[in-house]
Amino acid sequence: MKRRDFFKTSIVASAALITSSAVAGVTGQPNGTRKVSKYAFPEKRPLITYSDRPPLLETPISVFTQEHTPNDQFFVRWHLPDIPTHIDQNSYTIHINGLVKKELKISLNELKNSFAQVEVSAVLQCGGNSRSAFTPTAGGIQWGSGAMGCAKWKGVRLKDLLQKAGLQSNAKWIGFNGLEKAAYFETPTFIRELEIDKLDEHVIIAYEMNGEDLPYLNGYPLRLIIPGYYSDSWVKMLSNITVTDKYKSLFFMDKAYRIPNNETESETPQKRHKTTKPITVMNVKSVIGYPESGAKIYHHSEVVVRGVSWDGGFGIKKVMVSIDDGKSWEEAILKDNLGRYSYREFRYSFKPTKYGKLNIMSKAINSLGDEQPMSENIGWNHGGYKYNGIQIVNVEVV
Amino acid sequence: MIKLILLTALILSTLFAQVKTEIKVPYMPYEIKMGKGFDAVQANCLMCHSFGYIPNQGPQSRKFWHEKTIKMIDAFKSPMSEEDIKTVVDYLFEHYGNGKEE
Repeated sequence: MKRRDFFKTSIVASAALITSSAVAGVTGQPNGTRKVSKYAFPEKRPLITYSDRPPLLETPISVFTQEHTPNDQFFVRWHLPDIPTHIDQNSYTIHINGLVKKELKISLNELKNSFAQVEVSAVLQCGGNSRSAFTPTAGGIQWGSGAMGCAKWKGVRLKDLLQKAGLQSNAKWIGFNGLEKAAYFETPTFIRELEIDKLDEHVIIAYEMNGEDLPYLNGYPLRLIIPGYYSDSWVKMLSNITVTDKYKSLFFMDKAYRIPNNETESETPQKRHKTTKPITVMNVKSVIGYPESGAKIYHHSEVVVRGVSWDGGFGIKKVMVSIDDGKSWEEAILKDNLGRYSYREFRYSFKPTKYGKLNIMSKAINSLGDEQPMSENIGWNHGGYKYNGIQIVNVEVV
Repeated sequence: MIKLILLTALILSTLFAQVKTEIKVPYMPYEIKMGKGFDAVQANCLMCHSFGYIPNQGPQSRKFWHEKTIKMIDAFKSPMSEEDIKTVVDYLFEHYGNGKEE
């Protein structure tokens, strides 16, 4: 009953915000009230489900107390409706072609046995994660905070594959293509293009996630891993790599996953910024997995707030927690570092001394000194990308 | 010799897939509203995506739904007829609209 009252209060509060300044576009808290569906998708537990075709599954926020997100709770996002439902791993090959000295067709077995095997813990986050925080509605799926996860990815370096194929002197761009297909032949294929110079040795082609085969819905048997970058270019069911000398104009590169090309990366709904740029490197962010908004906590009990923090690979310096609406901030304890691309777990314990409503907030700060802004200070953008506002968890002390 | 055998076993072990047969993605029922124009929505929109995409956007203006529909044609090459565009936008605004034209 009380719990419901809480939701009501927050709905009223956000409605008030919306009417007061809808002209400029306002940013609040992402939707945190959606429940998991009763349908479990292949290799997954029931997750927050937006669509079955293509599958769009969000991880519940309570999972974000762990530095690695379990495979069966890991978020899923496909772009096109037709996904292969069976892969024969004995005949699966990845092709490398275009401006290479020797075209290659590499089998999974070869990949696992003929190249150096590497591992990296890295956060995979949709550029539109937390999009539901933007008003008016920004285009795209209205994700809460769980269009993301962190896994230990194992595979081979892209660089090693390219070296084996041998790049021609005019090679400049690489196109990555997976096996998902559109309903219409004319629909643009989900090809991502990256500039060769921008790819470092951390870019890998992974066949394993947290010590298991990748789940089908996360791109079995191979996916591209670009640590530090939003996941729009982490192509799933990767089947083809084409090296070119020119950038091809493609919908998913030219229109989708782009933000206003200005300093604040923002615009107004009425006056869109004229030029855009790709979303690329992730900004600093943290999410509280426990407690959840609407929860009751006991007066004078030992409460341990837990969450995860991350950035684009510069490394988390500290996470600050406030339990007095931002008047004061205290440093949370950070768990051991699993590498600069990984989630960094944090925890903060306190004893609630007052009955009634309490807001818990977390603010991550990275090694560059970048820190999370309050959500109302984040400018609106039409695609609803790169939200990294300070989360506010409303609980009640009883 | 023992080492060699172990090594072979390791290499072979990578060939066991976690999922042996075809995966089956469940079909979900959506509480989609019935009404004038629903047939056109079903025929055009469902080709590429589930009904889940519609209510997920929240109540929106006619302009919003028009822009979304045009995006499906321009960006994703939906072969929707001029007549269907109007029918689909009317349906979306009628059932998932916020009452505002813009």
